[in-house]
Amino acid sequence: MTSSPATSQAAGTDGRTVLRQLTRVLGAVIVLLVIWRVATVGLAEGYPASFWISQALNGLVLGGVYALVALGYTLVYGILFMINFAHGEVMMIGGITGYFALQFALARGWMEGPWAVVVFALLLIMVIGMAASVLIGVALERLAYRPLRQAPRLVPLISAIGASLFLQYSVLLIFGVSPHSYRKPALISGGLRLGDVFIPYTGAIIFITSILLMLALYFIIQRTKLGRAMRAVAEDRATASLMGVDVNAVIVVTFMLGSALAGAAGVMLGFHNTVVKFNSGFIPGLKAFTAAVLGGIGNIPGAMFGALILGLIEAIGPSALGIPTEYKDVIAFSLLVLILIFRPTGLFGEVLSEKKA
Amino acid sequence: MLILDSVHTYYGHIHALKGISLTVNKGEVVTLIGSNGAGKTTTLNTISGVLPTRAGAIYFQDSPRSAGDGSPNARDIDIRLDRLPAHDVARLGVSQSPEGRKIFARLTVQENLAMGAFARSDPEGVLHDLERVFELFPRLKERLSQPGGTLSGGEQQMLAIGRALMSSPRILLLDEPSMGLAPLLVQQIFQIIREINAQGMTILLVEQNAQAALQVADRGYVLETGNIVLSGPAGDLLANPQVAEAYLGI
Repeated sequence: MTSSPATSQAAGTDGRTVLRQLTRVLGAVIVLLVIWRVATVGLAEGYPASFWISQALNGLVLGGVYALVALGYTLVYGILFMINFAHGEVMMIGGITGYFALQFALARGWMEGPWAVVVFALLLIMVIGMAASVLIGVALERLAYRPLRQAPRLVPLISAIGASLFLQYSVLLIFGVSPHSYRKPALISGGLRLGDVFIPYTGAIIFITSILLMLALYFIIQRTKLGRAMRAVAEDRATASLMGVDVNAVIVVTFMLGSALAGAAGVMLGFHNTVVKFNSGFIPGLKAFTAAVLGGIGNIPGAMFGALILGLIEAIGPSALGIPTEYKDVIAFSLLVLILIFRPTGLFGEVLSEKKA
Repeated sequence: MLILDSVHTYYGHIHALKGISLTVNKGEVVTLIGSNGAGKTTTLNTISGVLPTRAGAIYFQDSPRSAGDGSPNARDIDIRLDRLPAHDVARLGVSQSPEGRKIFARLTVQENLAMGAFARSDPEGVLHDLERVFELFPRLKERLSQPGGTLSGGEQQMLAIGRALMSSPRILLLDEPSMGLAPLLVQQIFQIIREINAQGMTILLVEQNAQAALQVADRGYVLETGNIVLSGPAGDLLANPQVAEAYLGI
């Protein structure tokens, strides 16, 4: 930027250049501080390798769940340029509904049956959770966002926050404050031991299921007529409608896909955390949003990788930085602030700026 | 085939079309010429349903296609377009190649063409039309797996027209196909418009390049600030001193 000495440039441009340099220096300082802290505190503790591997595996499991939720944020942003801040609640509804489906299965004794019955019951629980989330997601689009489609961009955002609170406190009103606990069937409560590393079955199942769902979504987006229409609508709504694409229908389908993934994530997070309650979608929702921003919002592979990276950072971070695990949320949200300052387009590129053009 | 009956369109409070009436008959090339901001693009977008018609009516009539082409969507059409959303207008066979080409930059050329055929459910017909598009624009065949955004301006224009043809339209609306192209390419594009018309396509052509447009057209309309001020056979308009002075730069 200093190589083009345009004499007529306004003073404001110089100011911005200085600011950008300062930001860069600040970024380097932060990175150095983190490295220094990791080297002097985290590594100095002398944890065995198996400890780090276990943490990393935990991180991937959590990252997989975040990825499913992050995809919902990114899909909706890609098409409507709005952040669906009620998306965490869409996930929570899936978790709550999954809990009742699980109770139903437990009451029928399905969870103690032969493994085929247990697997079927688990799948059924997930599908029911997904269906509930889809219903809520579609209702949100229809009632909270579509009427505001022509409004300034801040307005649907406010509506989203309102919807988020509405859903949380409706669930609170109906199901109470106390957490509902997921009881794992015996079949999946054990784990694998590889040397010193213990891999719980639920973790493995959650990770594999997340990956499969992400592959399914990627296939839909990249290889089907519907996915092509979604990408076309994301690029240019009016032109897509000239091709005979019903833009509203595509938007609804986008909400359905994102919500289905969130519902699956809600059920899996229920099994992972063992409890769900009215606000258990809030923090994971924000984390998934962070992951989507980390990868570059609107960018689908970005959301997947951003979430896995966030999961890893959150799992390894506290030990590496030598701070209590209770502060892992601080790490995630500090990361959000840092990305927004230093790389607002996320790790995977220019999608945001390209679309604004 | 297409009849606009004193159509009014607004952008917010701006009265953009002030009672436009025009007719396009089957098999014709009709051109709509006029200077920047006269309402040419607005007219096409009103027909396509992208902009709502505030007053007046747009009629679209067509007899079933000849039995020979075996198209499953052959049917008698007599419909008011002004009450339909854009995607339904497109599904009826009113296909627009929009101003500025509006290629889906991140979709490949192949995907862009597939988007043109979005509403169709006759795979053989789609393949047949794809071959036809490749005959008209051999360049596109070489660029199939490239993102649309990486094409040159001329190639993008070919893709935009090809994409519009992929819907197997009954009428083709072309908005400024010569915009921003080198003179040689402009000639080529108009040659192709002639060819498409010779194959039986009805075309409504919007152009700033009045000279070239009137040379391919059967009839023309001159638009000025939302009103049609002049109309007639293309030859008459070419010879009209008013048109010559205002639009042909003579």
